[in-house]
Amino acid sequence: MRTARRISQIIFLLLFLFLFLYARYPFGGQHPVDLFLQASPLTAIATMIASRAFISEMVLALVILALTIPLGRFFCGWICPLGTVIDGSDRLIRRKKRKPKTRESLRFRSWKFAILAAVLVAAIFSLQLVWFFDPIALLTRTMTTVLYPAFVYLANGLFAAALSIGLIEDQAYAAFDFAQRTFLPIAQPKFFEGVIIFTIFAGILALGMVGRRFWCRNLCPLGALLGIFSKFRLTKRYVSEACTDCSLCQSGCRMNAIEDDYTVNNTVECIECGECLSVCKPHTVSYKFGKNEGKNEIDLSRRRLIQASLAGLAGLAVVKTAAVSRNKTGLAIRPPGSIPESEFLDRCIRCQECVRICASTGACLQPSLLESGLEGVWTPIAVPRIGYCEYNCNLCGKVCPTNAIQDLPLERKQKLRMGMAYFDKSRCIPWYRQEDCLVCEEHCPLPDKAIKFDVREARGPDGTIRVVKFPYVVESLCTGCGICETKCPVVGPAGIFVTAAKEERVEAAS
Amino acid sequence: MEDISRRQFIIKSAVAGAALASFSAFPDITSAAASDTELAVVKNGTAAAMVRKAVEELGDMARFVKKGQKVLLKPNIGWDRLPEQAANTNPEAVAEVVKMCLEVGASRVRVLDRTCNQPQRCYTRSGIEKAAKEAGAEVRHIIESRFQTVQIPNGQIVKSWPFYKDVLESDVFINMPIAKDHSISRITLGFKNIMGVLGGDRGDLHNKFMTKIVDVNMAIKPSLTIIDAYRILLKNGPSGGNLADVAETKTIIAGTDRVAADAYAATLFDVDAKDIEYLKIAADRGLGVMDLAKVKMKEISLSA
Repeated sequence: MRTARRISQIIFLLLFLFLFLYARYPFGGQHPVDLFLQASPLTAIATMIASRAFISEMVLALVILALTIPLGRFFCGWICPLGTVIDGSDRLIRRKKRKPKTRESLRFRSWKFAILAAVLVAAIFSLQLVWFFDPIALLTRTMTTVLYPAFVYLANGLFAAALSIGLIEDQAYAAFDFAQRTFLPIAQPKFFEGVIIFTIFAGILALGMVGRRFWCRNLCPLGALLGIFSKFRLTKRYVSEACTDCSLCQSGCRMNAIEDDYTVNNTVECIECGECLSVCKPHTVSYKFGKNEGKNEIDLSRRRLIQASLAGLAGLAVVKTAAVSRNKTGLAIRPPGSIPESEFLDRCIRCQECVRICASTGACLQPSLLESGLEGVWTPIAVPRIGYCEYNCNLCGKVCPTNAIQDLPLERKQKLRMGMAYFDKSRCIPWYRQEDCLVCEEHCPLPDKAIKFDVREARGPDGTIRVVKFPYVVESLCTGCGICETKCPVVGPAGIFVTAAKEERVEAAS
Repeated sequence: MEDISRRQFIIKSAVAGAALASFSAFPDITSAAASDTELAVVKNGTAAAMVRKAVEELGDMARFVKKGQKVLLKPNIGWDRLPEQAANTNPEAVAEVVKMCLEVGASRVRVLDRTCNQPQRCYTRSGIEKAAKEAGAEVRHIIESRFQTVQIPNGQIVKSWPFYKDVLESDVFINMPIAKDHSISRITLGFKNIMGVLGGDRGDLHNKFMTKIVDVNMAIKPSLTIIDAYRILLKNGPSGGNLADVAETKTIIAGTDRVAADAYAATLFDVDAKDIEYLKIAADRGLGVMDLAKVKMKEISLSA
């Protein structure tokens, strides 16, 4: 059973990685890149509650939840890619052959239920918090903003070294070209929030030093949710009379789910990994279908539940009233096709799939920090000084697992306004130096350019009169794609900048 | 600098050789290769047929490419646009040049451009990647680490700039722009197309553009300039996007004199070369001849 489980874990991790890498330009849409994100029951339930909508794309998650009732937490043990990563990391960071004399602490086990309660209470009051904790969103986010960029940096370095060797240059280029067509991006992705997101991820892995699968045991609200549903599962761990009370199964259990009476296991905590079957030397443990009579208490007292719910409410109130303006800064330029802001914040699970696919083309999207308020942490925003929205691209809407960004036909997206460009006349070269430039106008992708020139005489700084092309924005044409700001040659803040002013949002298709 | 000297030495030797040949001192040279035509303009054919005819009029590709030489062909692939939108060089014309180079024994023809939109998008939508590859070219993406700074001692403002290594290392450099409207240079042609092999922040070149574009062109001399005017973009250039701004002029201009080639292309826009400041500057600096009356030119129409 252990071998089968490991194979399953590796297959699903590879599938996760494949789908992650597939979410790039040119995106053919043959594979469902948001499969794992849509399969998370926690994300599905919390997002549907918060947004008060049934999201039909997430029905797979409900199927998994239903299957948990007879099968237990198979998702945690056999599928969850974060669980697999933690298993691997635990193997690396934990010293082997250490035999714990006593059972590891159960002290933190109730936290995950408290977190689940807080997340669901917040969702009921329309505050989306699940994104921080959902393991799939968490891993996708970390992959996008940290692990993949770091991998790309190293891979590009190797290729650059190979390409600099004259003799193998052609072969090196062929390999590089293949890599760029399959898994490497054309430009190095870089993200503002990478360090913070990495710190959280590293912290989760480091907790493995305290206990194996510390995250899954004690903190993961998805695990908590599945645990509640697996209470009544129909698989049974059966220990025969031949048990020698050696305790290997208890110390071998990564979830600490086996009680001091080794024949009893906690069905809420057990993730069906089968480790206890494999470590049992006399082979006294077996697995059968049948009503499980194990211990199945949910480790959450009524007091704790109330505390957690209150914490969820308090957090909700704090976040909703934080004096960080959502709109006044104009910096929260949303991807084209985003639904209205309050619904957007309810639906977006901060998985960074849109950011990931955008990085392979125009590269305007970044996880925000406070640009859209405390409630909008890590939601995607366009940062036009870094990248721009490609005129011929509508991929972000195609990979959004919750349809916070709607999948628009290209013709519609090309006309949709994300924001509006403004000249900063104290920085734009023609305006402050009375010298022609045109880089913004040259790059404007609209068939009828939104940047036009007022051609007239002006006195330059040296006192001479000359004819200068003064650029201006035609508001009725500009879509706020931001290529003008990206390409502006002024060092520092650009001479033209985009804000979210006059942005158009799309109603969610139900 | 060393590379440039070597390149120019080779080019100059080749040109000198061709010039010597034209005195018919070497009877074994084919008559076509002995042409001294500086500018060939072909009209009213398919893009491929016009390109072939134009180069033949200059004395065939053998005049420019010797057996075993490495060719760098630089079309405009700058934009994520379709061929009919006339923002990038015509893919069939590019493919034909690739074929002609290989026919006379080029060891390789490399095609590249530093694009304005995402490179894969541009290479794909322009149709150039597919067409050039099928014709036998090596189509390559720009790798940022492969730019080398070139000194431009005679540059007035720009004294040095990074150029793409593949261009510097090529034996033959063929510049192949498409003729388009452009708000600063008025029309973007051969001189402006050189921007596609430049590194650094090219936006910096756009103020005092007329002087700076000639400066960077002093560092590199194309053996051959082929201007694609099969379709030209009359408005909203250089990126275009509106088919109403495209005119089907069905013209290919090929020349050894890059100033003359640009000057001729300007006439398609009803613009006098004298009104294009960078051409005046370039002619003054001796990079070529702007007055078309002084150029050995052939004009041919394919549909008789």
